[in-house]
Amino acid sequence: MALVHPQIQVRFTTKQRQYIVTDSAILVPTNLRRYGLSEIINHLLDTEKPIPFDFMINGEFLRCSLDEYLKNAGLSTETTLTIEYVESILPPRELSAFQHDDWISSVKIDQSMIVTGSYDNKIRIWNTFGECERTFSGHDAPVKSIDLYCVQGEHTICVSASQDRTVRAWSTLEEGGGGLMYECRGHKNSVECVRFDAHGSQVASASMDSTINLWNTLPSNEDELVTTETSHTSRKKHEIRPIYVRKAEATLLGHIGPVQAVVYDDEYGSKRLYSGGWDYSVRMWDIESRVNVDTKNSDKVILCIAYSGKSKLVATGHSDKSIRLWDFRSQGK
Amino acid sequence: MGRPTKRTQLCRELARKRKKSDLSYNTTADDVLISDNCYFTEDAIGDKLNDEAEDAIREENNEFEEEGERGVIGPSGRFREIWPEIDPVYDSDTSTEDVQNTVGNISMEWYDDFPHIGYDIDGQKVMKPAIGDELDKFLDKLDDPDSWMSAKDDLMQRDVKLTDEELEIIRRIQMHEMPDKYYNPYEPTFEWFTSKPMVMPLTAAPEPKRRFVPSRWEAKKIMKIARAIREGRILPRKRQAESPRFYDLWTDTEQSRSDNPMHLPAPKIKLPEHDESYNPPEEYFLKDRFERCLDLYLAPRVRKNKLNIDPESLIPKLPHPRDLQPFPTTLTLSYNGHTGRVRTFSIDPTGLWLVSGSDDRTIRMWEVTTGRCVQAWDVEDIVYSIAWCPNKDIWVFAVTLSNKVAFISPRLMCSEEVSNFAVKYASAGFNMQKADKKPGVVEWLKPTENQRQYGYVVIISHLHDHIVKQVTWHRKGDYFATLAPDAGTQGIVIHQLTRHHSQQPFRKIKGLIQRVIFHPIKPIFFVATQRYVRVYNLIKQELSKTLLSGVKWISSIDIHPMGDNVIVGSYDKRLCWFDLDLSARPYRTLQYHKMATRCVAFHKRLPLFASCSDDGTIQIFHGTVYNDLLQNPLIVPVKILKGGHDIVNSLGVLYCEFHPSHPWILSSGADHKINLWTC
Repeated sequence: MALVHPQIQVRFTTKQRQYIVTDSAILVPTNLRRYGLSEIINHLLDTEKPIPFDFMINGEFLRCSLDEYLKNAGLSTETTLTIEYVESILPPRELSAFQHDDWISSVKIDQSMIVTGSYDNKIRIWNTFGECERTFSGHDAPVKSIDLYCVQGEHTICVSASQDRTVRAWSTLEEGGGGLMYECRGHKNSVECVRFDAHGSQVASASMDSTINLWNTLPSNEDELVTTETSHTSRKKHEIRPIYVRKAEATLLGHIGPVQAVVYDDEYGSKRLYSGGWDYSVRMWDIESRVNVDTKNSDKVILCIAYSGKSKLVATGHSDKSIRLWDFRSQGK
Repeated sequence: MGRPTKRTQLCRELARKRKKSDLSYNTTADDVLISDNCYFTEDAIGDKLNDEAEDAIREENNEFEEEGERGVIGPSGRFREIWPEIDPVYDSDTSTEDVQNTVGNISMEWYDDFPHIGYDIDGQKVMKPAIGDELDKFLDKLDDPDSWMSAKDDLMQRDVKLTDEELEIIRRIQMHEMPDKYYNPYEPTFEWFTSKPMVMPLTAAPEPKRRFVPSRWEAKKIMKIARAIREGRILPRKRQAESPRFYDLWTDTEQSRSDNPMHLPAPKIKLPEHDESYNPPEEYFLKDRFERCLDLYLAPRVRKNKLNIDPESLIPKLPHPRDLQPFPTTLTLSYNGHTGRVRTFSIDPTGLWLVSGSDDRTIRMWEVTTGRCVQAWDVEDIVYSIAWCPNKDIWVFAVTLSNKVAFISPRLMCSEEVSNFAVKYASAGFNMQKADKKPGVVEWLKPTENQRQYGYVVIISHLHDHIVKQVTWHRKGDYFATLAPDAGTQGIVIHQLTRHHSQQPFRKIKGLIQRVIFHPIKPIFFVATQRYVRVYNLIKQELSKTLLSGVKWISSIDIHPMGDNVIVGSYDKRLCWFDLDLSARPYRTLQYHKMATRCVAFHKRLPLFASCSDDGTIQIFHGTVYNDLLQNPLIVPVKILKGGHDIVNSLGVLYCEFHPSHPWILSSGADHKINLWTC
């Protein structure tokens, strides 16, 4: 005698319009898992090729059978479950590997271009097939952070921050204009993070010397032309080339420890800047007035920061393996 | 007439007896059953007595009439007899009254044929009186006017003249009246039972007649049972075999006992033996000996109460570690690269860089946040000690190499100005040296060109050949001390970096020196020997105090940044906390490690200290020092960090140091690793 499984009424909903099925409740056996439910949806949709679906109950993905879910949630089979389904997205597969000689400190992608900053003082540009197309060398110390900005679809500007206390701007133009555009000097210690604003007209850099510097990226006549000095470490004579050295547009003082990360606010035309550092504080700066507008204090070192224009929240990564979300719209610490 | 008196008495007696027997009928039916025969006899007697009593009462009434009114009218209006006083003389007995004819109550016809009518009391015949014929009787009647009121006495065969009272009774009977003229049938009713209801009714009602009359229903029942017994329908109870009324207490056999399953024979007392029968002297009963004997062979007299102490209450009330956050809790990073034991490392004052020295004869510089080895130096000797200059502006660290101490300023990681300043600061002494030509205790050497490439700034070469095992800075970054334990008094040298000046502060020192350390504020120098910590005042140049650690072999020492507390770790697993203001003995001795403590360290800013041990663990303690002198430091163990280091050749964690600004700790071990623990 076949074991008869209890059945439960479920109502399938989705936000993906192309997969909407009937709204009425359907009786399904409770021993079904994701695959079984997916089969039901495919049957209802009458698809030619089965489409894998994922199922959510109360905002959580169903990762066990309905039976177990009911047991864990303490529900009876009398209730009617509302199950939301979305098309299943497969985990990413590794397509190609980009072999580096040393640690990679940061990666940025711009269209078909992958740019990495590495601890071997170099910035590399890769195509999607895993081939290194270009290498920018010039930093005297490991590159800690890079950021990209695409200028009108013509070329991409890459800025890199390095432990040699400089921020350098590189152009990816294939022709003669490519390579180092200018060097930003002003930090007294390793530069940990560098970010473009939304318009690409400004770059903010966070440094271990507890300052944030703002640099103008637009072509400027104030750049100082300096010939290359002999580096400390390399005894080899470099090819003497003139370098444009740019000074900081502004310095934001306020952090009382190394600044680890900065991020621009994309929403308000990049008028706001968020920074986090070793002094456990997340600070919001007003770019125009260059004032620390708001400070929120954590109790752990902040290592990285990100801003979401959609939710208007700031996420910070901490040394205690946690991520914290901050809402700067709310008052108080 | 004496006879009626006698009969009255008898009658009264009988009436009393009957009353008594009547009461006995009210007893239980069993009694009736058992004594049924008796009952019947009594009943019969009762009936007979009843008749006799009635006769007696009648006679009595007669006597009453005869002897006149011997009575009074009571308060209820009824007549009450008053009997004559009995004169208690010889003849007072009525039985001795003069009776003329003693034949008794018999039919006198029997004496018709005899000349006598009976016998008197002396046995003499009583002769028939002469009876005349009918004519004589008639003549007599005529002669005697009272003859109509005489009656014939059968016993004496003669006429007896009736008294007026007797005549009155006869007349009353004839008239159908009550014979007793005193009897009033129309007496006023006496309410035995009141018509008014009483709250607490009492009755004085005489006992009803049924109390005295045997119950006919009972008699019927009894007869029924008696008949049944007679016919054999009811079998009377079998008579039980009579048990003997006495039995022999002293027999051994139990046979006389009834066969009761619950019977437990009493234990037999042992017959008196020698020591009971012996009459002991008085000392025998001395109390202590008696009690000692009891102790020896009986149960203890005093119940020993188990100590009922809650083990929780013995633990001192300490704050919960949760409330003492932050402190390092988790292993975050490992700095891998060394191929030998990492005996020492040092974090730069900004907290960004780490230099470590190892048995693999390399010095490595690491980025603290990422674990990246940014530079490595190959050296000729095992690095025993390494120390950053505590001054943030002077970018230089000191490292011990055999009998030398080298100062290295890693140029790569700093700006040129900083590097140049450090070089200038460290080598300024070369110019002002040689003021006195006396041979110094050390030689200050300039690095070679090759060494300079790698950042070497100054090298100090000791004159002795012993290995320098420790270099420690004064807080300000100018003075530093080196220690070569095997070199004896020459081992401790205090140097001044700016002036390139060195001196041996001690001419003679006792014991094997383990560690030295500067006081962070005052010009005081701590020397940890094998068992003691000697505290020297450098200005007065005298021994100001000796701390008695009480441990076998001191391994390490560190001083609280406020300068008033010292912790000492020892190879015998202990950690001693000294409060310098309090005592020369440890304020607390903590023994938490399972193996030798290798290193102890205070945090520079936070109230934390730690100890690391060969058992592969690092213990984190919270140690608050109060400014108030009256309050003792609060020491709370908060965390054991384990799992980060493997034990290699019974060596675990060799060195630990707190990050200068964060609640992080770094530890290095014999497993070639340096670990960063964060919260």
